[in-house]
Amino acid sequence: MDVIKPYFLLFFFLLGGIVSAQTIDSLTQFKKKILESVEVDILMSYYEQEGIHAAVSGGIGNEYLTNYAPTIVVRMPLNEDAILTADVGISAYTLASSSNGNPFNQSGASNRDEDEETPRGNGSSSGSPKGSPWVASTGASAKDVLTTVNIGYQKASDDRNQYWGVNAGGSIEYDYSSLNFGASFAQLWNEKNTEFSLKGQVYVDRWNPIIPTELHEYELFQETFLYNPDSYFSGVSITDDQGNSVAGYLPGNFTSYATVKRNSFALSLGLSQILSPKLQGAIFADLVVQKGLLSNPLQRVYFQDRENFYIGNFRSIPQYTSFENIDVFHLAYDVERLPSQRLKIPVGGRLNYYISEYLVLRSYARYYSDDWGIQSKTLQFELPIRFNLSWKFTPIYRYYDQTAADYFGPYNTHLSSQEFYTSDYDLSDFSSHQWGASLSYRSVLSQLKIVDFGLNLLSYAHSIIQEVTVYRPLLYRLLSNLFWINRLSHLQ
Amino acid sequence: MLMLMCTVSCTVVKEYNKIAINDEDMLLSAVDCERFETNFQIYREAAAGANGGKTGGGCGCN
Repeated sequence: MDVIKPYFLLFFFLLGGIVSAQTIDSLTQFKKKILESVEVDILMSYYEQEGIHAAVSGGIGNEYLTNYAPTIVVRMPLNEDAILTADVGISAYTLASSSNGNPFNQSGASNRDEDEETPRGNGSSSGSPKGSPWVASTGASAKDVLTTVNIGYQKASDDRNQYWGVNAGGSIEYDYSSLNFGASFAQLWNEKNTEFSLKGQVYVDRWNPIIPTELHEYELFQETFLYNPDSYFSGVSITDDQGNSVAGYLPGNFTSYATVKRNSFALSLGLSQILSPKLQGAIFADLVVQKGLLSNPLQRVYFQDRENFYIGNFRSIPQYTSFENIDVFHLAYDVERLPSQRLKIPVGGRLNYYISEYLVLRSYARYYSDDWGIQSKTLQFELPIRFNLSWKFTPIYRYYDQTAADYFGPYNTHLSSQEFYTSDYDLSDFSSHQWGASLSYRSVLSQLKIVDFGLNLLSYAHSIIQEVTVYRPLLYRLLSNLFWINRLSHLQ
Repeated sequence: MLMLMCTVSCTVVKEYNKIAINDEDMLLSAVDCERFETNFQIYREAAAGANGGKTGGGCGCN
């Protein structure tokens, strides 16, 4: 027995050494994957909007819009440290406002080729053409599809304290195409209590300008555009305020754009901090420079110091700015003109507090300023409430306001002597309130299905004319393994 | 908030004490299902960015 005892001791010593070595080996080799398995999100959104400030018709008119946007996002682990993300989507929409690039299709008067954006031939060939900013036209610009593809690669360091990423992508629609690429870096320290992130993104965009019919024909035929047999306006009666047929309409303000390119350069900084076991916050600051054609070539502008000319029923001119006008259209002298450069500086922050296992408070605030004279404030609160492991209810409130751009003016208020002008109400003075809530369900057993149903009401108030517009976006979301339905409504 | 972060940044919350911090609702970015909503807002409003997302470019908006 005394002989065997040393062998036992040696055996256990060696075994302990082996186990110890294996443990150390396992510890040194074990790394938690930053993504355990392939994730596929299938998303679907439906959005509907009504409005009365169509920029295409100079700040008044029908803004009815519908949008379907199915999207798929695939995230796959390449190894323990790296993931690849592919994000592909289409966004199919119909727009009453854009349809009025050529507003005269509602009467079927133009001999327009549906495959082209520009009407060809004589507008008087099918009777007197008529149009209205309040009635959607039937041309090709009444609908479009935006297709987007984005690919991203992200890699983490062994200690998960550094993350690098690169991404590239593009999007295309009828009158606009875009390529983008970027890189990001994040550094964590202080036992992962503090994180600094840096991101750069470049967009190389290009317009395929679609311009309003009357300006397009002027661009083609210059001073002869009212009587050239190939012009749409040949033989079309153009009237003044009193209904007199006149030939004085000449949109001399309009000139072709010098460039169709738009480039954007964005630098984003972020700093997040865990403040306590239940509180964490982050601040973000972006610096964005945009250069090139920053205006929209389809958006008309009307001048108060120029004579007014119309096509259609002159008796409707007194009701021109109301829905009652269905058959007369004001001819424009120009489209919006905006500076070729814009500097945007948004600064935002998030602060989240874990009140209890049933309740979390999420908050977001942002201040925005740019060199076009716009300043804005955003505040958002979300309050996820868990009833149990499966059900969660999340009320949301969001406030937003902004001042007007220096170049904004409502319909028919600009002066033709101005260098820059726009009647796009996205650049106007307004505020909005959004109330909403969502209800979500997660299967505890499978963790495979989530149903999320949300409703948001958003009201926009344009302070300039104190009018109300209604937006009713609907948002449905499907997630792979997870299933979401999210409904969103805006009321303006 | 920056002052608050600077003041408290000496506090270190250990990994084992981050159960609440790691809750999905404590994420310091917009939740996934807000991506479409954010897109609508970028179209309707002049301001964008400083939320970890898109800041302009890539479509006809902004």
